[in-house]
Amino acid sequence: MTRSLLVIACAIPPLIAVGISAVIVVTAAAGGSPPFWRGGTLTLSEAAALRDQGEVTRLTVSGTDPNAVYPLRPGVIAAGALTPLEAAVGARRAEMVELLMLRGARVDPSGWRRLHCFALGTGAADVVQMLERYTPANATASCEGITTPF
Amino acid sequence: MPAPRLIVYACAALLAASISYGLLRMPLQVHDALDEIVAAERSPGVWASFTSTIGETTYFRPLRIAETKLLFDVSGGHYFAAYKLFHIALLAAVFALFLGELRIETWTDAAAALFALTVFIGLHTFLGFVREAFPINHFLQVAVLVLATVRLARARPGLLVDVAANAALVAACLTLESGVLVWVAAAASRLAGRRGISDRALVVMTVLLAVYGAVRFVWLAPNVQAMTNASGYFFERLEGPQIRERFGAGLSRFTVYNVLASIASVLFSEPRGGVFVFFRAWSMDDIPPRMWINVVTSTLTTSFILVALIRTRNRELLVFLAVLLASAAASFAYAKDEIMSVAGVFYAIAAFWAVRSVLMRAYRPPAAVMFALVLIVAATGWSVRTIGVNHVLRAQAFAVHNDWAVIPETMEQRGTWPADPATRSLVIDLRDQSLAKPIVNPWFMARWADRVFEGDYF
Repeated sequence: MTRSLLVIACAIPPLIAVGISAVIVVTAAAGGSPPFWRGGTLTLSEAAALRDQGEVTRLTVSGTDPNAVYPLRPGVIAAGALTPLEAAVGARRAEMVELLMLRGARVDPSGWRRLHCFALGTGAADVVQMLERYTPANATASCEGITTPF
Repeated sequence: MPAPRLIVYACAALLAASISYGLLRMPLQVHDALDEIVAAERSPGVWASFTSTIGETTYFRPLRIAETKLLFDVSGGHYFAAYKLFHIALLAAVFALFLGELRIETWTDAAAALFALTVFIGLHTFLGFVREAFPINHFLQVAVLVLATVRLARARPGLLVDVAANAALVAACLTLESGVLVWVAAAASRLAGRRGISDRALVVMTVLLAVYGAVRFVWLAPNVQAMTNASGYFFERLEGPQIRERFGAGLSRFTVYNVLASIASVLFSEPRGGVFVFFRAWSMDDIPPRMWINVVTSTLTTSFILVALIRTRNRELLVFLAVLLASAAASFAYAKDEIMSVAGVFYAIAAFWAVRSVLMRAYRPPAAVMFALVLIVAATGWSVRTIGVNHVLRAQAFAVHNDWAVIPETMEQRGTWPADPATRSLVIDLRDQSLAKPIVNPWFMARWADRVFEGDYF
């Protein structure tokens, strides 16, 4: 009787772990998305905000425009739609700004000024420095009249 | 086959299958793997690959380089499939050999074996088998060879067994420095009363070990202490130059610390990579549940093993102690969880014998209830750690996916971007295949998962 109690105490938790593994295996075998591997698709701006460099490269290499505006679902960043560069700045991701520039994002003087002001607003010095590496000719750093979208 | 054993084997197969699925969802990694694959593409043959790095670096791992080339050649262009299937085959082998070390005849044995299975997978050292591949996981390969040697030590004596044991030692030593654990396991098995490997074979193994030591530590890299790997020291992580500046290049208190920290890491899940992460979190008043789970489960299980060692003097535990001490000694230059991965496997085997002895004893009802509570706490914790491996694999898949995002630019910056158009095309193909794999962004995971399941501490 006492041994049965001990055997049950010892075996039940591992059997639950096996059950969860079985769900993963069966769901995958059925072609579904098992627990731990469920997610959703991201827009380019969401990928930029969520430090998903792999997805940013995949999307841009497959022809997605890195300069267009894309919607963002609630909770990613406090804005409904942004360009990928704006999303990267809003998320304070200097490395993402660099990656987007590598993958074809472009800024004209007025666009750069907006981004620079957004970056100053976030207080992320590394993002500000990264943007300054891509300062276009004739760009000014004044933030007068610029409001942040997030 | 007895029903209890059959059930345990089925459970192990499901656990291994879910981990294998995670391996398949993870792209081939960039760090320490892409350059190896590129080298395999350039190499004229397997033998050329085998000899290519001898004397060129302080490491001596020619067999892994040759295997990388062999898999590259036989893959027929399906590189991901070839390397991943080899990884999964090694994983299946380590599961099978691990189960072979557990004597499962009764339902009591089965319960202890299920517990041990969760210790085997849930212990942080197991992550060294699955989180990375270079593109072959040499830690896993050495674990397979060490377990196979222990198995040979229990086989019927014969020339084939002796040859196989020596072949295992040679293969392991040519794969990774931890390969010397094959000799340790063979010698400890002998001391534990296993007579499968003959005295003559053990003498030959000892001679081979001495030759290996001379080649590796005298001819190739006399100044092993000069290795520049980062390592932890109490609550901080030190870079190689900092270590040499603070402790010098010879035997020091840092060396002793690494050995003791490595032993403690297996027994108590603390420190990790030499850093006392639990106590560091305590000092910051924020200990995530995963750290409590790690420390409590390991401490309880180590207590079971200690009691079993004192009460039963089970000679099966001798191999665990020998592998633990030898692995810790091998960590003298720097503490790294992966170096202790083979010791982690034998810790789980020791846990089987210890828990089995707890289950076999007769208790009065109050004591039985108390032990049942302790067992359910430990088993639940280990089960959480086991399931957490899937979480770690998913997080690692995201990290590897991101590493590919900056290829080829990173290679250009490092000066490793190949000049040959065919090699460039291979790298771009590998990148595009890796990026095409659907990866789950961590944003879609519940926030509590990062606090409950294992994570990256550094």
